[in-house]
Amino acid sequence: MRALTIFKAVFKNWMRSRSGLFFSILFPVLLLLVFGAIFSGVGSSSKYRLFVQNLDINATDATPSELSVAFIDALNSTETFGINEIPADENATEYAQEVLGPLGGNMRILVISEGFQNDLLNGTLKVRVGITYETMDMYYWYVEPYLTDSQKSAFQQGLAQMQQYNATIPDAKASLTIMLDPADSSATIVKSIVMSIASAFNYELIGAENVVEFREASVTTKHYSNVDFYVPGITAAFIMTNGIIALTATTTEFKRRGIIKRLSLTPLTKLDWVVGNVLCQTILNLMLAGIMIALGWVVFNVRVIPDAFSIALILLGSIMFSGMGMALSGFIKDVEAASAIGNAIAFPMMFLSGTYFPLEIMPSYVQTISKALPLTYVAEGLKHAMIYQNPEGVYINMVIVAVLAVVFIIVGSLVTRWKEK
Amino acid sequence: MGKTVVEADSLVKRYGQLMAVDHISFEVYEGEVFAFLGPNGAGKTTTVEILECLRPLTSGNARVLGYDVTRSEDVKEIKKRIGVLPQEFCALDKLTVKENIALIGDMYDRHLDIDEVIALLDLKDKVNEKFENLSGGLKQRVGVAAALVSDPQLIFLDEPTTGLDPKARRDVWAVIANLKRLGKTVFLTTHYMEEAQVLADRVAIINKGKIAAIGAPQELISQYGGLKILKIRGGDKALASLLQKKYDKVSLNGNGDVLVKIDDVDEFWRVMATLAELKINKDVEIQTPTIEDVFLKITGGIITEEGELK
Repeated sequence: MRALTIFKAVFKNWMRSRSGLFFSILFPVLLLLVFGAIFSGVGSSSKYRLFVQNLDINATDATPSELSVAFIDALNSTETFGINEIPADENATEYAQEVLGPLGGNMRILVISEGFQNDLLNGTLKVRVGITYETMDMYYWYVEPYLTDSQKSAFQQGLAQMQQYNATIPDAKASLTIMLDPADSSATIVKSIVMSIASAFNYELIGAENVVEFREASVTTKHYSNVDFYVPGITAAFIMTNGIIALTATTTEFKRRGIIKRLSLTPLTKLDWVVGNVLCQTILNLMLAGIMIALGWVVFNVRVIPDAFSIALILLGSIMFSGMGMALSGFIKDVEAASAIGNAIAFPMMFLSGTYFPLEIMPSYVQTISKALPLTYVAEGLKHAMIYQNPEGVYINMVIVAVLAVVFIIVGSLVTRWKEK
Repeated sequence: MGKTVVEADSLVKRYGQLMAVDHISFEVYEGEVFAFLGPNGAGKTTTVEILECLRPLTSGNARVLGYDVTRSEDVKEIKKRIGVLPQEFCALDKLTVKENIALIGDMYDRHLDIDEVIALLDLKDKVNEKFENLSGGLKQRVGVAAALVSDPQLIFLDEPTTGLDPKARRDVWAVIANLKRLGKTVFLTTHYMEEAQVLADRVAIINKGKIAAIGAPQELISQYGGLKILKIRGGDKALASLLQKKYDKVSLNGNGDVLVKIDDVDEFWRVMATLAELKINKDVEIQTPTIEDVFLKITGGIITEEGELK
């Protein structure tokens, strides 16, 4: 009952505080808008910038060769690249540097070598003749028993001529050079896409057809956009920061100002105090999660709908992190230290728990560390609940979060100090 | 003298090498205003916080309202029965006066009617004002209201007027005087001499963790206050020199008044006769000793406005 009184008073105090509301509700909402805009691609072309220098110019009319232009068109047709063409007489790197300007950006240059068209045609012809020769040779092997001697002789003569002709075709290969910055995190992706286009171009010229069919399907039963996948992580991250940073700082400030000391002079117990604060933070977090998801629906057209599992996980996650915040504030004496320690714990956890970046791309030791971080289980549980609709994935995470919630509340009650000894 | 509500017997609080409270013993009786008077660091707040069950004692015994402050079961009973205005009282900034008083009230199984407490402390006009918007004096009044809301048997007021301007200080004094009229037992700590003298039924002078003297203000003044002083307004060095030839204890104060310490009425008339002989026609007044004189006599120093011993 006293915990409920503490909850009502602290909640009212919080709701009337502009700075409290800003950091608990508005700040996360603003960050969601920023992250959402980045991940949903709103307002950006979402293309990789690629400089292309075409050195394959016809000597007669100084125009680029047809096939080099066709290759650039093929690059463009993927809608993956924003292409800046570099004139053939310019130094490619200097030109790209000048275009990128002082703020830089990633320098990726593709150079189409001189003689690209000729080499491509010759190479294609050589491959085609070679394939034709091999096909005819195999055919000859099959039909030989049924041929007359004169037919055999004519066939062999034809094959020999074909071989002779193939030997006269130059062996050069069409050359593409790609220059990438080792520090560019997208370099591998860009290189892979350019290589795929070159292969496709190659196959098209030699008349090969795909024998492997590639189909794409979503791992989820519903169709989600990019930003949908970030909603559970961002929600979990802010539940965590509100519990660890905001609640720790607030209760430390209450302690500094003697408010906790005053309440301790009444029959209020430490458990009442901790539970009241945890309850307040939990309600704030539920409100925050509701606002963030509603905003996601309206602004980014996200499709995730929190079900009973998600709400239960948000609730348990809030209790766990608020309990953690209360436990931390038991050890911290001043507000500055509360803020520093809260940030020191919350921020690494935010990035090591797979909320913003998938754990799969992290080094194995980070994946090991992530298993020791409470946020991992809230984020994973929410992903299973909101995205994959996988109850089994939710249960295990929910149990872990529930156990940690109880542990942190007990620890919080034990370490809460009304006043230093 | 009412029944004993606080008993401290050879109470000790030590922080490492520092002896904050050094074997002090005293009693507080029901219905009295008992003042702990001493400079900062004398051990006043430490003692009070031991009695409020906020700090553990190192050794000795302390009982509040018959309950032992060291027993956890007794602590619960003590907390139900005491009201506290801690040093530098603070409440939730965004809550109103009424909400803050009700918050403390709701911590108890029973409490007084909040509006009655607000009326008692003359806070009706500020009832819906947020705590953050109140002046220092009003904040202290809210603190006293919070201390009273549970209808406690014993009220601790720890430095209730520190940092307040003279008007706000006198407002708080009026509140404490009113508590006294209502028959409440008040344990007051202060470093203001006048506050102790005006409000307290009994005063304990505490310095360096030890009680130097304890008793009713008048008793202490009689015992330690020394002689009365005849003040001759607008005197000068020449007059002081003339009087020094006949009397031992003559001095000049900062305003240029001549001060003559007198033992009794006969000496007063002898000084007056001397002034008549010297044809000195000045205003005179008799100053009686105060708690400040008692404190000076006992500790050899005085307490500054900031609470430091000088």
